[in-house]
Amino acid sequence: MIEVRGLHLSLGDFRIENLNFTLKEGAFNVLLGPTGAGKTLILESIAGLRRVPKGRILVDEEEVQHLPPEKRGVAYVPQDLALFPHLTVERNLAFGLRTPSKNFVKDDPHLARLVETLKIDHLLQRYPQGLSGGEKQRVALGRALAPSPRLLLLDEPLAALDPALKNEIQQLLISLHRSLGFTALHVTHDLDEAYLLGERINVLIRGKLEQSGGKEEVFLHPRTIGAARFLGMRNLFRARVLRRDKARESIAVGAWGKEVILPLEHCARPPSMGEEVFLYLRPEEVMILRPGKPVKESLRQNVFAGKVERILDRGTHRWVLFRPSGLEVQVEINLPNYVFRNLGLQEGQEIQVAMRRESFWVIPAKRCSPLIARPANIP
Amino acid sequence: MNSGKTAVVAAIALFLFYTGLILSLLTFFEGQRFLDVLLAPDTLFSIRLSVITATLAMILAVGIGLPAAYSLSRFQFPGKKLVDTLLELPLIMSPVALGAALLVFFNTPFGNVIQERGILFIFEFPGIVLAQFATIAGLATRLMKTALDEISPRYEAVARSLGASAWEAFRKVTLPLSLRGILSAMILCWAKAVGEFGATVTLAGTMAFKTETMPVAIFMSLASADIPKTIILILILAGIGLAALYAVRLVEKRPQVL
Repeated sequence: MIEVRGLHLSLGDFRIENLNFTLKEGAFNVLLGPTGAGKTLILESIAGLRRVPKGRILVDEEEVQHLPPEKRGVAYVPQDLALFPHLTVERNLAFGLRTPSKNFVKDDPHLARLVETLKIDHLLQRYPQGLSGGEKQRVALGRALAPSPRLLLLDEPLAALDPALKNEIQQLLISLHRSLGFTALHVTHDLDEAYLLGERINVLIRGKLEQSGGKEEVFLHPRTIGAARFLGMRNLFRARVLRRDKARESIAVGAWGKEVILPLEHCARPPSMGEEVFLYLRPEEVMILRPGKPVKESLRQNVFAGKVERILDRGTHRWVLFRPSGLEVQVEINLPNYVFRNLGLQEGQEIQVAMRRESFWVIPAKRCSPLIARPANIP
Repeated sequence: MNSGKTAVVAAIALFLFYTGLILSLLTFFEGQRFLDVLLAPDTLFSIRLSVITATLAMILAVGIGLPAAYSLSRFQFPGKKLVDTLLELPLIMSPVALGAALLVFFNTPFGNVIQERGILFIFEFPGIVLAQFATIAGLATRLMKTALDEISPRYEAVARSLGASAWEAFRKVTLPLSLRGILSAMILCWAKAVGEFGATVTLAGTMAFKTETMPVAIFMSLASADIPKTIILILILAGIGLAALYAVRLVEKRPQVL
């Protein structure tokens, strides 16, 4: 288990204060955040490449923040890979081994398996300059994993790759992790990459950890507005909590001058009465109702009439911008292509949409609000 | 004339200037004396003295300059810019002034102690080495820093994460990768030390068969108005310099993989 406790770091004017997170052992952990969030700073501090002025870094319950990099058992793969150009692939692989034998690749079952999984057997006597981008990635991963590190740090190693190669290396990382079961911390700003690779995701924005959790939890239920915006959520609307129905475990929020009812479990935390919140509407969960067809009882609560303002072809799906009548808001609806064809939607068309209760997610507007507060004035 | 042509004309003019200088030496060149002068005991002494002192000065300059260059290239510390600036001082300071400063230093109480209880420098062999060292140490550090700057610190970072100590990371990664640049720096500094005159003559004087390096020998034969011998000595010194420059080119031409 890798734990970061009360970590303080600084670089110029940039500060990270009191950072806490835990990496799940044997899992592929992702540190996700925009450029300038401090991801690399944290990674370099864990690797021992930066001094930690305050805080603790624990690897398998051992405090390592005072140890030099070579005593931490933490392997590091930078974005440029930094393969040693004066050494063959074989010598690159052997670099982290204390006393490599002459035929160390064949003698060591772990290395033999690694070389086989990475498919770099035929490259062993070559120098890094002659390798393709994908081959270099494989060798860099092999070199980092050869000494069986306690933690593998990956600093955006896929950022500069073309989509095909990126996909290939992502698949390789997945199979390598399944095969060897190492603990990894992968830094990226790429949402797709984080979702594909990450078992546990830590969202970092401007030096603050916004959220940690499983990928579904983070991507579907962001706990802060910062995380939601970074995760690309656009259907975010300002709202206010109006009342709470304890019996039905639901709350009513006022948004766009209307009342929206949704389950209490769809709130990032139980909100207080009158609290300002953001209402997130999942674009793939909004239903466009067919004219003349009966509407289910469960959908009748949040039905809106309005107009299709724009339709954009996003390749894999259609992006429909819907404006509810009399409201100055625009709602994004994602439709699979086959649904779009069946509906035969046109720009300017008047339609009715049903916002399922499950399509809502309520995020507190203020970060500093108490996390599990249940004020007495909530009925 | 476009800027490209102007640049080519400037390069040709510079080439003609130096070629003209060398060709002008041939006006007084006596070919039949060449071997006699080359093999004369005083010439052989001055060549040997120059080569030995320059080699020692270069070893000292690299020995001290390499750690200095590494710290300037890799670390941030208070006063770094001041140190960096001071290192450039010998590059722009007159060698005579540098020699004079050394001479003054050895006349201070501390300098006297060194002279009396340690090593004699004034008018002695160590004085030549010290004068040459003072002239080339800054240059050596500057050139080696440039060579180290070209090597990404990421290599060392990765090496250390793979279990190498700071020294191992330097020895196994940074040093081999910057070796060409460091070798070039060593050769250039050696050649500069061989040709050093101002500081040497000020600190060690012009004593035949004692402190008579190649440049001092040229100065002494010119002072005695033996122009043909002067020219032959100049050509020998130029030959040593050209051989060193050629060696630098050979080092730089080596393939990336060492």
